[in-house]
Amino acid sequence: MSNTYTVAAYFIYLPIALVLTWLVAKTLFQNGLIFMRDIFFGREEMAKATTALFKSGFYLLNVGFALYILKIYDALTGMQDTIEVLSSKIGSFAIYLGIMLFFNLYLFFRGKRASQRRRVEATNPTPVTPQS
Amino acid sequence: MNLNISAYVVFVFLMVFIIVYVGRYFYTNGRVFIISLLKGNVSLADSINRLLLAGYYLLNIGYAFLKIKDWKKINTLEVWCSSLALNMGTLILILAFMHYGNMLAIYYLSKSNSITHKLF
Repeated sequence: MSNTYTVAAYFIYLPIALVLTWLVAKTLFQNGLIFMRDIFFGREEMAKATTALFKSGFYLLNVGFALYILKIYDALTGMQDTIEVLSSKIGSFAIYLGIMLFFNLYLFFRGKRASQRRRVEATNPTPVTPQS
Repeated sequence: MNLNISAYVVFVFLMVFIIVYVGRYFYTNGRVFIISLLKGNVSLADSINRLLLAGYYLLNIGYAFLKIKDWKKINTLEVWCSSLALNMGTLILILAFMHYGNMLAIYYLSKSNSITHKLF
């Protein structure tokens, strides 16, 4: 006999996790395109392709992780249990998404810095000493 | 039809769909990078891209079918949901790590390539 509370929890958790991923990816990569235009200075198709590749990687990683942690190990006995387990699952997934968002932002900023350094090197024949 | 067989059917359809969709997406977006790595040799880039796509399909769809062999017995609906999600999640995570590995490879190749180095 299957546990209806667990099945209901799965069917609540999965749409919320997928919609959260979609929202985060949308905001991150709408703003990420501006970074990419800056990094791939004046090469529009390169910027678009990089954004698309980062976006698909982000979706794969986070949807995969959301599915991977779906299983609820405790036997849910009532409404209260279900709400508690669901909130801890969705909360931890949201924190994980936040960490991934900041990691992607860090990559964007790093790319921006590297492209600026290369542009300076390309215009100046003498190598520039890196400033701390 | 028992629950195991229905899980296999759903798993294979969803995974083949995801793998083919993601593969087409990488194929169209990765083309620019291969062309820039090969310094504008478009015909060689296209043929390398097609071979990479074929290898990707074979590897991932093959692995998806291989996973069916060691699937545990499904008795209830909750086990059906959780084991389907666990298996799909593992496969999608493998796809994600392979994708990031490929992006790192492109990054390091373009760094060591002096002509693209100047352009980047």
